[in-house]
Parts: sequence; C-alpha cells; structure tokens
Amino acid sequence: MPYFKTSTEWYKQSALLLKARPTTTRITSKYTVLKPSPSKISKRRKYLEKRASKPASTTRSSSPPPAPQKPEDPTATFKLKTYDPESGTCLQYETAKAAEVGRLIGSLGRLGRHMAALPELAEDLGAGDAQAAGVSTPRVEEDVKMSGVPAQVEQKAGAGGGGKKKKKGKK
Amino acid sequence: MAGDHLSNDEFFAQLANLFEHNRKKGHSSVYLVQKRLSFDSSAAPPTPTKVADDPLWDTHPENPLPILIRASNNKSDKRPGTDREDIVKIKLSTVVQPDDLDAFYLRYAEACRAGMSGLKKRDKKKGKKDKKKKKKGVGEIKG
Repeated sequence: MPYFKTSTEWYKQSALLLKARPTTTRITSKYTVLKPSPSKISKRRKYLEKRASKPASTTRSSSPPPAPQKPEDPTATFKLKTYDPESGTCLQYETAKAAEVGRLIGSLGRLGRHMAALPELAEDLGAGDAQAAGVSTPRVEEDVKMSGVPAQVEQKAGAGGGGKKKKKGKK
Repeated sequence: MAGDHLSNDEFFAQLANLFEHNRKKGHSSVYLVQKRLSFDSSAAPPTPTKVADDPLWDTHPENPLPILIRASNNKSDKRPGTDREDIVKIKLSTVVQPDDLDAFYLRYAEACRAGMSGLKKRDKKKGKKDKKKKKKGVGEIKG
C-alpha cells in the first residue's frame, strides 16, 4: 500500500495497473477536512513556540516566510487511491495543496480514458503532464512536506522544469 | 443502494451541493470514485463477455465502455460530548459515455477546484505582490 512522493509517479503506476486490470480497478478520491484534535492543537502550539524562539533564517530574507498556521485551523487533504480488489493492489497519493487539484483531476481524466478503453492521447505518459491536463496550474512536482512548504522551494522546483529529479528543491 | 444514475448536469449540481455541505460543516469528507461500468443494466448481455480461454479478456473490449462516477459524503452519528450531529449519507452517481469523457473531466476539475477550498493556497503570490509594490514604490520616489 505505497504512498507515492509525486503525483506523476502515482499516475504512471496507476496507468499500468489500469492497463492490466481495467475492469476491476477503481479510483477513489477523498477530500477531507478535519478539525484537529486537542492533542494535535497542543502539538502545533508547541511547534510554533519552538519556531518562534529560534532566530529567523537569513537565507529566506528575499521572500516573506509563509503565513504560520493557526493551531486551531482544520486540516484539509486530498487523497487519491487506485485500488484493484482482485490483486489487492492499492496505490496512493496525498496532497494538501490546492494548486495540485486541477492537475490531479486531469490525470484522473486520462486514467478514465484507460478505463473506458479509449486510445491514449498522443502526449500521454510523458513529461508534458501539466499541459496535457489542460489546466493552467503551475507544476509543483515534489511534495517536500505536507505542511508548511516554504515558498522558495516551490519556486525552485518550478524553474527547474518537470522531470524526475526528486532531491533538487529540497533543503 | 442509490437507485438511478443522475444525468451529468444534475450530478454536477448535486456535487456542488455536497461540497457546500462540507464547507459549512467544516469537518467532513467528500468521496469520489470512478470505475469502468462493466455491468449494463439496460442491455441483456453484459458488455464484455468473459471468455474462458482468454484471461486478458477485459483488456481489449470491442467498444469503449462508459465510466461510472460516484460521489458521497460520510455519514455521521450524533455523539454526546462532541458537536457531532446526525448526518445522512448522500450518494450520487452518474454514467459518463466515452464520447463525453473529456468534456466531463474539464467540468469535473472545475467543480472540484471550486469545492476543495480548504486546501492550502499558494502563499508565493503574496510575496511577489509585495515585492512588486516595493519596487514600484522605489521607482516612484526616484522618478
């Protein structure tokens, strides 16, 4: 039951699974909003205090730091799950970024073509992922962390262009 | 089980409602499922007939098959001590014909982007705007 780090990887594996078992495989997407539990709130408080006590990093002086999350804010996630009951395969990907939704639904659409046994689109299964989705979302290839991704990491990732690099934007 | 499938238009209207519910409540989920519709209730024989000597019978059907899309929320029961209330499970489903697939997914993406408002927005934009403002301000002073 693997979670994939990138949505492209999830898409590729899901496409393969769908090719093998197009009739039984289903894709479940779950959008969930959760209020944090009391223990989670206190954890977040502690984390914020800890971060506040540290001096601000000088490397990120050019852009303002991302707005800190309030401890009581609900957590929203979007999880994609490709499941085939016959073989028991389950492929998952989870994100918390609104920017990715458009692209993910786009890949759901392309996987839908596999399900419908329609021919693949020409630019399918390649680096031209973002264009194929037909959505203007800038590509955010890697998910460094679920929470509090610094703005600069995203910027770097965008400039580097799509691909399989995984460690590039990481700090 | 939910009875009949909705038409695509109706489905989108109901889906928007479902997301709206979720937003109002501020603590719930929306489930979306897609799968191949391999069982056709209207026609007499099921669409791809299983052939015993071909284990990969379903990988190459003669005709493109429709896709079933389901959407639901999560049922919840009242629980003392919390602000949880009874919520009925809402189930929606629609069938997308292969020809409408692309158009459907464009609308679907839009509906989902509009509905999933709780996810994190990009905070990059703010910084950029600020920078521009600053630059502009400097320019004005100079000029």
